[in-house]
Formats: sequence, structure tokens, C-alpha cells
Amino acid sequence: MGDQHRVSRIDAALSQLFDSLLPADPATINDPTVLRWLDKLVHNARDSVHAGQEDVPAEVNSAQDLIRRKLLRENASPEKAARFSNLYSRLLSMPVLNQKWRILYLLHSLSENQFPVNGPRSPLAEIEQQKLSKQKVQQGYPRYYEKADSDHEEPPDRRTSVEPRAAVTSPKKAGLASTHEVRHDVTNSPPKPQIAETAAVPSELDLLRDLPFSMQGLSSKSYQFVSPTIVKLPSSLPIPIISLLHTLAEPCLLYKTLTVFVDAQDGGLVNQSLRAAISGELRSYLGLVATLEGEIRRALTAIEKGEDDKKSVRAAGVTLKRCVIWTRDATMGLRLMALIVEDSQRKRGGQIISLIHGLLASHGDPFVAGFAERLLAHVARPFYDILRHWIYDGELVDPFNEFFVVEADPMLKADVDPRRVAMSVWEDKYKLEAELVPSIMSDDFAKKVFLIGKSLNFIRNNCGDSDWVIHYSQANSKSLDYESTSHVNLSASIDAAYQTTMARLTHLMSNKFFLFTHMQALKRYLLLGQGDFIDLLVESLAPNLDRPAHSQYRHNLTAQLEHAVRHSNAQYDDPEVVRRLDARMIELNRNDTGWDCFTLEYKISPPCDVVITQWANTQYLKIFNVMLRVKRVEYSLNTTWRKCMTGARGVLSDIDEKLQGDWKNARCLVAEMVHFVNQLQYYILFEVVESAWATLQKTITRSDATLDDLIEAHTKYINTIVQKGLLASTAEREDGFLVQLHNMLKCMLNYREVVESLYSFSVAEYTKRQQSATRTEKRTAAGTSRASTPVVAGARGDRWSAMSDELAKDTGSPQLLPSHAGHDSTLLTGLRKRMSDLSNDYHTRINAFLYDLAHQPDVDLRFLGVVMNFNEAYKPVNPRRQKRKEKGKSSDVQSQAGVSRPASVVPTSDAGGRGEGSKAG
Amino acid sequence: MPSKESKREKAKEVVDILEEISILLDTDLDRAQLSLCVSLIENGVNPEALANAIKGLRREVKSNEKALQDIRPESSMSD
Repeated sequence: MGDQHRVSRIDAALSQLFDSLLPADPATINDPTVLRWLDKLVHNARDSVHAGQEDVPAEVNSAQDLIRRKLLRENASPEKAARFSNLYSRLLSMPVLNQKWRILYLLHSLSENQFPVNGPRSPLAEIEQQKLSKQKVQQGYPRYYEKADSDHEEPPDRRTSVEPRAAVTSPKKAGLASTHEVRHDVTNSPPKPQIAETAAVPSELDLLRDLPFSMQGLSSKSYQFVSPTIVKLPSSLPIPIISLLHTLAEPCLLYKTLTVFVDAQDGGLVNQSLRAAISGELRSYLGLVATLEGEIRRALTAIEKGEDDKKSVRAAGVTLKRCVIWTRDATMGLRLMALIVEDSQRKRGGQIISLIHGLLASHGDPFVAGFAERLLAHVARPFYDILRHWIYDGELVDPFNEFFVVEADPMLKADVDPRRVAMSVWEDKYKLEAELVPSIMSDDFAKKVFLIGKSLNFIRNNCGDSDWVIHYSQANSKSLDYESTSHVNLSASIDAAYQTTMARLTHLMSNKFFLFTHMQALKRYLLLGQGDFIDLLVESLAPNLDRPAHSQYRHNLTAQLEHAVRHSNAQYDDPEVVRRLDARMIELNRNDTGWDCFTLEYKISPPCDVVITQWANTQYLKIFNVMLRVKRVEYSLNTTWRKCMTGARGVLSDIDEKLQGDWKNARCLVAEMVHFVNQLQYYILFEVVESAWATLQKTITRSDATLDDLIEAHTKYINTIVQKGLLASTAEREDGFLVQLHNMLKCMLNYREVVESLYSFSVAEYTKRQQSATRTEKRTAAGTSRASTPVVAGARGDRWSAMSDELAKDTGSPQLLPSHAGHDSTLLTGLRKRMSDLSNDYHTRINAFLYDLAHQPDVDLRFLGVVMNFNEAYKPVNPRRQKRKEKGKSSDVQSQAGVSRPASVVPTSDAGGRGEGSKAG
Repeated sequence: MPSKESKREKAKEVVDILEEISILLDTDLDRAQLSLCVSLIENGVNPEALANAIKGLRREVKSNEKALQDIRPESSMSD
């Protein structure tokens, strides 16, 4: 009942309301169509009212909010909103109405504004829509209005598009459509003039459309690339857009610069691989650009087609700002690449790799590190290729000189000493250039790699063992690159290669080329290690070599050499070794004897001459020279001693009472000299040579000896011998060891000659005595046969004079008169004087020598001095102090003797004097 | 009756307020229409439906105003 009442009341009210809305009173209208139309209207209205009876959810405050917002939105001043709030509060205070909010809602709905009301909306969405709409207003997209319009007003299936399509539906719908149109006209007109104004400025969508092209570096209408580094933007754009375009210009310009770099053709392998890596990255950048382009195009077509999906509306906001964010990562990558490209202009090869690796290892940003790692994998590939070739084949395949092993420039070696050619094959053919070593390898590594390649090359070229090299490279060659071999693996493989190669090289050297055998042979022959051979040689050569140098013939010497070899233990030696032994004459001067020019020679063929270099050979020869001299002196002293001893038992025993003192002196001195020479020889052979040899052996038989080690050890060996063996040629210093030694040896030789002459004198004396004895006998036996005496005497005299002539020839002393007594005594006095002079000389020299020895830093030399002076027979004297004393006392006998000594020495021994002069050291 | 009077007064006041609000909102409703709407809503009519109906009517009338104007002189003339 109540309900019905209510309904009737509603109906009454509705009819009243509708009538009031209608322009004309239905009662007054006669036209049936109009009447019908009016009736229909009312009916529809009533229907709609009844249809919508279901409740709208009650929200007390929402209506108020809606209204307030609406008021705020539509009015510039908040005055109305304030008033409304006031009114609302007053309304609320009134207890009258129950459905206040509904009324308010009604009022709100009826208000004239066109905006869609679709339930409560978030403020943000509203603001965004507002902004978007404003933007669209600026750019004159009236269609948006239509969309917003039609959203709410009609149910979806009755929505119409913009174009005024012919009305498919009832005239009412057509009417609706036309009302839409009318509304459009009304709403469209204000923005239209705006569009006309902004036609000159490129719209945002135009810019967006151009963006994919400009990101590839191509000029477009609004985005012109004046030069590879400058972009010209249209100046009529608003400032925020200009700033956005500036940000977007960066990747475009970077891309252009990078494409220029990538297209260039020069540079080495590493450069090329860098280019490849960068072009790969650029390709992915282009992929990004393509995606961007797709997005933009989709958005544009979505806008153009006018889809009503709300999302596409929002997503159609593919704005410049969005593009900036999307390209941010790519821009960073491009920036990095541009940096790398610029740095790499000045560098080459390994330096570029170091550069990128530096970015990888020491840069904090993980993006940069990841990027650098990708690039590094590409860029290091040619480097690893070269490395592989070098390590496993020993070949340097480096067309652009990017590897850290460089082949020495043949142009620079114009002034090299031709004697150094052999060593240069090992030492100078390849050089390690430290600056090109990339930082992915440590220095140790680089050295090892260098050695491996060098040895392989050496093995292949000089040792003729290319088969092994090929086999080795095939068996072991693994492809190296940055990712698959981590640092550990790479180092392990390099170590393995290193050891194999070095072992092979040492093996080759020792077994195929008998390096060690040669070294030993050198020691035996040139360093006089093979005693019996040397003795034999000296013995057989001695009479030859005493003659002047120009009368020697090479074939003589060689024959003697052969003889010596055959009769000593050397014949059992390796024929390979014996073959290399040779006798030679060196540097003939005018008045040399054979002794000075003779030398043995040992031929070394490559590749051993890498270790036993030319320099080493000369050192060996020097040592041999000195030792040969010593040997010669020893030999002559020995022969003299032998003569003395045997003579003492025979010839000399009778004349003891006359020459005993002399002979005693002679014997003593000779003994001293022999002792000296022996000690010296012992020292050189055992202390110096053998110990150095032991060190050398130890070094070269170590399992991990490399060729460089061998060379070094050998050089050290020779140096030790030279230094410790008193053989350092400091020819300038007058009191250097070698000079002293030479002088002493000369002295000894002279003395020996004196002894020889004494001996011959003694023999002559003896013979004289014998003859006088027989004469006496004969005289007593045959009475006084004066006839025979003068004959005999004459004959004797003749013989004597012949002998004395010989003596004179030998000793070069002034011609002796064939008068016995005076002749004898003069000779004897001369001999005696000479002997005493020489012995004084010798003593002085040996004292100085011992003094110098005692003050050497080396222990062994001091030991030598001690051994020589074991019974303190000599008193070491400082020669300099001696000289000063000599200079001070001009009237000193000694100084006189010192002055006269050289004078007396020179005429007696030609060989000695000239030997001193011709000593070249 | 004071209550009745006050009630009437209050009702009037409310209507005043509502009228002011409707002017603020520019709804184009006069007092009579407003009071009718209020009574309708108080009786449980859906405000949204009612608003739609009113708007529809208004639209129709506006769009055919010319036609109606043709009619009206006739009617007046016929009168």
C-alpha cells in the first residue's frame, strides 16, 4: 500500500516534471507526429527512471567531493567551491532530508559540464588526463574530445565514429549522432585556431617519427646533422623539448662518430677486431632503435586509428621523455665505445688490449665491466692467434707489429760486427718490447712466451729440427682465447710449452750438436787440459818454433799437430773433436819467432756458436797463448834442468872447483823458477779452470736449463778464468799481472839461455881439461913432440875457436879472441855477471809479484802467493815504494842496475825483447 | 504548530540551500523542478536514472527546437 502510494506519487511527480521540461504544452499541440514524439519522449524518460531503480552504492561524502572537485576544475577562482563547502555544511546540519547525497549527486549530474563521470577516480589519473588533454589541445587533436565524450554517454555498442556516417539506426540515433556532431562543432571551434598557429612547429609526434632515423645518424626534417659532430635543431620548439632533444642527440652523434670509425680500414689486426666488436655493439644498438621505432609507430597508429582502449591512450604517450629513458643504457654504452675509440687512436696492439682490460679490471661500474668483457673477448682474439702461432710454431705472424715480440729491424744492423753474426741469430733476431705487453699477461709470462717462441724458431731454423717442431705443434696446439682459457689455464699451458721446448732445445744441443763435448774439448786442448798431448806438441814444435816466424810453414805445423795427436791419448778422442783441431799462425810481425805466432784453433760450427760465441773463441785463444808461453818456459827450463842434472853426473863433475859456485847459483835459481812455473800452472789448471768448469757443469746439467742459461754460464766461466787466472789484459798498466808475468817469463828464458851458455862453457872447459889431460899424457908418453903440440894446439885451438865462435853466435856476445886464458876469464866474468844480474832481476820481479798477489781481494790468488812463497824465501816488496826509492836515490847501485838491466837484457835475448813488443794481449 | 512551522521553515531553508547549490553547479533547474526532484528522490528514485532522463529530454527538445517552433506558431495560429 505504501509502496503503491509511493509509486503513484512518483508517477505524478515525474509527469509534472517532464511537462515542465517540455517546451510546449501537450494539450495545445495538434500535430499527431509531434504529439506522438512527445509521448514517446515522456515514455522513454519514465522507462529510464524506472529501469534505473537499483541502488547506487551509498557514499555520503563522495558526492560532495565530486562536486567540489568539479567546481575547482571548472572555475578559476576557488570561490564557488568555498561557497559550496559552506552550503554543504549547512545542509548537513539540517535534519530535513534523508537522501542528501543523492540529491547532490543528481545536481552534479545535471550540471552542464561535459566531462565523463565514471565513479570515483584517483586524483592522479585525473591530473594526467587533464595534462594529456591540455597537450592534445595544444597539438590540436580534437578527436580526443570525441572519444571522451562518447565514452560515457552511450553504451559501447551504440558508439559512433567521428565520421558522420549515415544513420543506420532509428532517427533517434541519427538525432543522437547529429547532436554529437553539433556538440563537436561547438567544442571543436575553439581549438581550431590553435592548430593553425602551431603548424610551423614540428609536433611531438613528428619528432618521434623522426627519432628512429636520427638515432641512426640520418638527417631528417627537424633534426639535421650539419656535420658529424653538430646537430641543428629547429629553434621554434619550446625549451623543455629542446632539452629533451639535446639528450637524445647524444646517442645520435656518438653513433655517427662510431660508424665513421668502424668503416675505416686502417690499423692492425687488433684494431680491426676492435672495429668488429664495436660494429657488433652498434648492431645491437640498431636493434634497440628498431624496437623504439616499432613502439613509436604502434603508438602513432593507435592514435590515428582511434582505438578506444584506454590503455592505448595511455601508452600512446610514447613521448620524447620515454625515449630518453629507453635509450639511456644504450647511450652509456655508446659513450664508452667512443672513449675507447678515441684512446685507441694513439695506441696499437697490446696497448689497446691493456686499455680495455683496464676498464674491465679496475672500473667500479658493473655495466662498464660487462661491456668491456664483451669487447675484450673480440679484441683479444687476434692477439691470441698470434700468441698461439708464436708458442706452438715459433713463427711470428704479425703483419702489423702488434705483438710484444718484434723482429729486429734488419736496417738497423748495418754496423754490426760481422764476428757477432752467429750470436745475433739467437740474441738479436727477436726483441721483447715491454710496452706492447698487454695487461692480461704478467711480465713473467711475457718473458716465458718470448723464450718459447725464440727457442722454437731457433730449433726450426738453426738446428734443422723442424720435424720435431711440426710434430710438437700439431700435438699440442690448442686454440687460445680469452674466455675459454682462464688465467690459470693459460699459464699452465704456457708453462708446459716452455718446459717442453727448453728440454728439447737442451737435448738437441747436447746430443745432436755435442755442445758439452765441445766445451770439454776446448778445455782439454785450448786450456791445456790434455797434458800429454800438449807436452808432445811442445816438444815436437819447439825446434821449429824457435826459428823466426816467416820461415814457418803451415803444413809443418799441421804435421806436427797430427803427430802429437796420434801419439797421445788424444787419438782416442771423438773424431768429431779431433777434426776441429787446427794449428794456425797469427799476425806475423817482422821479427817474431814461431812461438809468438803459433796458436791452436778449435772450430765451432753453428748452432753451437750461439753458446760458444766468437768472443768466447777469442778469449780461449788468449788464454791459450799465455798458457802456451808458460808451457814453453817450463819446457825449456825442464830441458836445462835435465841437462844440468845429467851433466852434473858426468861432464861437470870435474870442474866443480872452478864453477861450483856458479853452478850452485844456477841450480838454485833454476829450481826456483821451475817451482814458480809449476805453481803457476797448477794454479791455473786446477784452481781456476777446474773449479770454473765444475760450476759450469753444474749449471748446464740442471734439468731446467734454458739456452740463455747456457750462454750465460759459459760466459761466466770464461770470465772467471780470465780474471782469476791473472790473464786479464790490462796492458796499459805497467804492473798489471799479465805484464809482470810476461816479464818474468822473459827473464826466465834469458836465464835459461845464460845457463845454457854456462853449460856449454862448462863443457868447453871440461873438454879443454880433458884435452890438456890427454896432451899431458901424450907429452909424457911421447916425450917432447913439439911438432904435434902446435898442431894439436892449433887443432884444439881451432876447435876451441870454432866452439867459441859458435858460442859467440849463440849468445851474441862480442867476438872472443882465440886466446885461452883471457878469453876464458872474460867469458866467465861476463857469464857470471849476467847470471847475477838476471837473478837479481828475477828476485825483484817475483817480490813485486808476490806483493801484488798478497793484496788481491780474491782468496785463490792470495793462496797462490802463499804457495809460491811457502818457505818465506822471498820477501814481498811493494814495487811502487821501490820505484820511489829508486827515483829518490839516483846514485843508488840498484837504480843503476835497474837502468842497466834492460840494456843488458835487450842484446842478449832478441826473442824476449821482441816478444814484449809484439804482445798484443 | 511550531514543529510544523519549523519543519516548513527548515524545508524551505533546505530548498534554498539546494537551489543555491544548483545555481553554483549550473544545472538549469528552477525551484519547482528542484522540489519535484527532491520529492522524487526522497521517494527512492535512482538519481542517476532521473538525471539521465532529464538530460535526455532536454537534449531532444533542444535538437528539435526548430521543428517545434514550426509547430508552435501553427498551434498559436490555430488557436
